[in-house]
Amino acid sequence: MLELSYREAVRDAMSTAMRRDDDVFIMGEDIAEMGGSMGVTQGMLEEFGPERVRNTPISEMAIVGAGIGAAIAGMRPIVEIMYQDFTTLAMEQIVSQAAKHRYMSGGQIKVPLTIRTQGGSGWSPGAQHAQQLEAWFVHVPGLKVVFPSTPEDVRGLLWSSIYEDNPIILFEHRTLYGIKGEVPEEIEPIEIGKARIHREGEDVTVIATGRLVHESLKAAEQAEAEGISVEVFDPRTLQPLDEDALIASVQKTNRAVVAHEAVTRMGWGAEVAAVIQEKAFDYLDAPVVRVGAKFTPIPFAPVMEEWVVPHAKDVLAAIKQTVGKE
Amino acid sequence: MSSQVTLPRLGQGMETGTIVRWLKSEGESVEKGEPLYELDTEKVTQEVEAEASGVLLKILAGEGEEIEVGKAIAVIGQEGEEVSVPAEAPAAPKEEPQAEAEPEPNAEPEPKPQPEAEPGQHAASPNGGRIKASPLARRIARERGIELSSLRGTGPEGRIVAEDVERASATGAVATSATAAAPVPSGEVEVVKLNQMRKTIARRMTEAWEAPAFQISMSADMTAAIRLRESLLARVEEGGVRPTYSDILTKVVALALMRHRDVNAHFAGDSVKLFPTANIGIAVAVPHGLVVPVIASCEARTIPEIAVARADIVSRTREGKLRAEDLEGGTFTISNLGMYGVERFAAVLNPPQAGILAVGAIEERAVVVDGDLEIQPRMDMTLTVDHRSVDGATASEFLATAKSFLEEPGLAL
Repeated sequence: MLELSYREAVRDAMSTAMRRDDDVFIMGEDIAEMGGSMGVTQGMLEEFGPERVRNTPISEMAIVGAGIGAAIAGMRPIVEIMYQDFTTLAMEQIVSQAAKHRYMSGGQIKVPLTIRTQGGSGWSPGAQHAQQLEAWFVHVPGLKVVFPSTPEDVRGLLWSSIYEDNPIILFEHRTLYGIKGEVPEEIEPIEIGKARIHREGEDVTVIATGRLVHESLKAAEQAEAEGISVEVFDPRTLQPLDEDALIASVQKTNRAVVAHEAVTRMGWGAEVAAVIQEKAFDYLDAPVVRVGAKFTPIPFAPVMEEWVVPHAKDVLAAIKQTVGKE
Repeated sequence: MSSQVTLPRLGQGMETGTIVRWLKSEGESVEKGEPLYELDTEKVTQEVEAEASGVLLKILAGEGEEIEVGKAIAVIGQEGEEVSVPAEAPAAPKEEPQAEAEPEPNAEPEPKPQPEAEPGQHAASPNGGRIKASPLARRIARERGIELSSLRGTGPEGRIVAEDVERASATGAVATSATAAAPVPSGEVEVVKLNQMRKTIARRMTEAWEAPAFQISMSADMTAAIRLRESLLARVEEGGVRPTYSDILTKVVALALMRHRDVNAHFAGDSVKLFPTANIGIAVAVPHGLVVPVIASCEARTIPEIAVARADIVSRTREGKLRAEDLEGGTFTISNLGMYGVERFAAVLNPPQAGILAVGAIEERAVVVDGDLEIQPRMDMTLTVDHRSVDGATASEFLATAKSFLEEPGLAL
């Protein structure tokens, strides 16, 4: 086994694919000489040259549009949107072009495009750089959405995304870049749409994404000390959702908490809660509880940011609420 | 927004509690985590902390009142906030099987909706006949033919959860509505209301009486046990806990239970649960009652360790500082009345445990050994077992093992 940081794992998946296939290239703002605003693409310009590590103008719509064109023409482009907040500027290309061409052409046109983006709170980036917008994209048929939480998962899932023939948007979380974890020596592809159970438990399933996977693991440990056995379930892929694994877990524990950093209202967790009640209603012993950010822009002030977004203590409170030990 | 304080369930099997004393009065501010009231449960009296900060707006349950688990007992909120007291659930559950499904059309209007309810927290509404139960609880009740209206919910906001149905299913008990106490002529008769502990003892001993139990007795020569205790006492450090005969007995019984696991068991209706560890309950007398705190895994503890655990649990019992978990998980019970001069007695089962050992005093007795009269320190032991799971031969083998370990402790090695 090899130990890599989340950041290194992202880079390793891209570099390995680029060494293997000339069709793979990367494109984005400041990704070449600067090595990316988060340092993810450092050293890649030196290895692969400016043809395959391409700096772009500050125009998200153009970045995604060019990626779509290249993908249709037979390449496997990886485009980077520096902050997921800036996907707003590329929505027409993502939602109405990338997600639609395969359908509208009767399957004749494929769009093997990977859109990487990052974001999230925890370091006071302010309201325009801290959002978690995955819920917008899971709502669009034709897009797959991936949100890995560990170095091993991001490496295996980014690899699978690059070799997927449909457009994928892959979310990275800013505060996860530094975490380290063991990864296989050789990249092992991870199937898109397969969940991972980080920790098995009996009393309640916590379905968590991104940073909240780690917060939920902390909460699970604290709950364990109080005699509550928690299963931590990371879907890894938000669209398509691994419903079979999700329902099996809830049928076992009879209780569920959904935790993500994005605002609770209309969040991805609402869909998960709905799926659970549709498919496991007779197994539920308590209402599904959602944990997410308060319904407000993310404040700049660190104490306020801390207050708005969820942490382990919020997950723990939800766990206790579902098992009736408030 | 105000929040209701509901009566918590502090241990398995707790169904009601009595508020001994409110530590805050209406209008006083409380901090989350501050002791709010003293609660007399079936087994222990303990302080309960506030779960929310704010002002104690209203006390709904008076001191001395017996409350069901899950019932609202107070409201905590912001100063000046108006309190809407939830209507009481109908005292007598409806008998018609359909009642639970049909909301009453003329139910009282709901209190005006809260501006923004927290997710997962319903405003308690007058329930208009609708029984609050989780989907899982409903399914289990349906499958086992249990009437939900006969159950009491212990989940959040009084919801009937799966555990409540499982419990009713296991005991076969269908809660009956409390009948009013028959009027008792006053005059010379002093009427002492049962406290929680007395009620629990009454209920559990009545339950025990349903078990077809039988007793067997043996008497043990305590010469070796006395020597063992002397050598243990010689090793006690200054200020350390002195091992008693009870501690030796606890250890010996635990080791015997490990060799006869059928006796280290719970009878559970359609199954018998055999436990991997000997968690021994020690019957301790307290004023006007009796509690049985448990020392877990006695087979793995040394006698001095058992002595320390016993001293701690007995002193906490007498000081009323037991926690609910001290009373849970027992697999077998020992009751010792030797200190009262009792020679032998038969104990009543402590259900669902399959066995209980009653122990009398050590006394010198004349015994015939090889045709000669000898004076020996002897102790009588009487084992009561639940015949549904333990038979005479099994019980005898267990008791014989315990006796042989007392007479020759080396055999336990």
